[in-house]
Amino acid sequence: MPIELTDIERLAQILERSGVDAIEIEEPGQSLKLVMDTGARMAASPALAATAGPAADHSVIAKADVAGHFLAAHPWRDKPFVAPGQRIEAGAIVGLVKIGLLYAPIVAPATGIVDAVIAETGAMVGYGTPIVRIHPLGESSPIS
Amino acid sequence: MIEILSVTGPASVQDLGRFDQYRFGVGTSGAMDDVALRAGNILLGNDENAAGIEIPMMPFRLRFDRDTAFALTGAGVEAEIAGRTIPPWWRSQARAGDVLTIKAMPRGARCYLTVGGGIDVPTVLGSRSTQFRGEFGGLHGRPLQPGDILPCAASTATIGELGVEPADVTLARAAASADETIVRVVIAGEYDAYDEATHALFWRSSWKITPQSNRYGYRLQGPTVKPRAPIEKRSHGIVPGVIQIPPNGQPIIQMRDAQTSGGYPKIATVIRADLWRVGQARLGGKLRFEQTAYADALAAEAEMSAYLDRLRTNVRLVEEIRACR
Repeated sequence: MPIELTDIERLAQILERSGVDAIEIEEPGQSLKLVMDTGARMAASPALAATAGPAADHSVIAKADVAGHFLAAHPWRDKPFVAPGQRIEAGAIVGLVKIGLLYAPIVAPATGIVDAVIAETGAMVGYGTPIVRIHPLGESSPIS
Repeated sequence: MIEILSVTGPASVQDLGRFDQYRFGVGTSGAMDDVALRAGNILLGNDENAAGIEIPMMPFRLRFDRDTAFALTGAGVEAEIAGRTIPPWWRSQARAGDVLTIKAMPRGARCYLTVGGGIDVPTVLGSRSTQFRGEFGGLHGRPLQPGDILPCAASTATIGELGVEPADVTLARAAASADETIVRVVIAGEYDAYDEATHALFWRSSWKITPQSNRYGYRLQGPTVKPRAPIEKRSHGIVPGVIQIPPNGQPIIQMRDAQTSGGYPKIATVIRADLWRVGQARLGGKLRFEQTAYADALAAEAEMSAYLDRLRTNVRLVEEIRACR
């Protein structure tokens, strides 16, 4: 279903009402990104994306699936969700994306050892922004 | 249904409270942290008055007998569902047979478990809240015990994992130290029966929350507060939040299970917007009182409402986007 102009208008109104900075919607054949003009800047720099790229051979990447600010730790916790060298299970939470008052989870796509936390806490991330690089373990198949 | 496997303190079924029976001497009961109960219900798309479980002590374990959406709000707890760690103020989906374990409570004093549709105990006098004093409401009018089976309303669609910002992050207030909670109060009926030096003492002291503090009331410990002359009053109506000074000069804050009347002089009343902060203050912790004008108390309430409004809009936004996809 194509995104109509009226949909965009409605989404923009929802964003404004909710105090949310940005939204990204991706569907087969189309993608939509709305960013409210609040002075926030996208921090997903090309350099960071490169680190997460081809160098990481067999690594799997936990990615954000929504736009907002990345939180490596819950505000009530001193320790981040994951640290390099730590073993994590597929589906485990590796960080949060803060959108308004919401905290959306970023989950590990596979069981493995955390290689690096790529995103910086507080950075603006978007759909597909690499967050954590994981060295997968054993034959556990990646989940989507 | 939910089966209680282990419970440590007086955990109970609570909704927002029983508000229409006060004139008959029936106290409100209801969640000590109503903001947390509302947030849990908002996360699940429930009526905000849906009943949840108030859990004041850990460890606590229960089993879901079917797929159930649930949320944990209130105190910061270390909790796991089927081996997965649950962050604070979080909603998740339990599968039939999953065991929820709440191991420790490093922050706050009461954790709230809400479930999709709410805990479906019978409504008594207009509320599902447990009335400890009258032994009715909730589950058989008593604290939960191992083996108890709690009926849940029919569960609806499955939900995705999602958290919200805890109220005390959004509505943060300055505190002198980590174990001290500052609560705003308005002065009450007998305030003028205490002299200026006593007023100053009341405001500047840090009041220790004694172990004799619970859903009925908090007994505080600190310097002795004495009136200019002994006060003798007949019993009169009081509300949760009232700070009384009994003859021993050690303040009592009346809480959700308080009697509806009392005769001790009242020096101040905790404003409604801060009552949940008292409900989350830990035994052994400290309370300090900050004098507030009536208009500022209303402004604080508006700020609390604005937080809940944003939660509602934000959670609705997520569901709308999901529906768009």
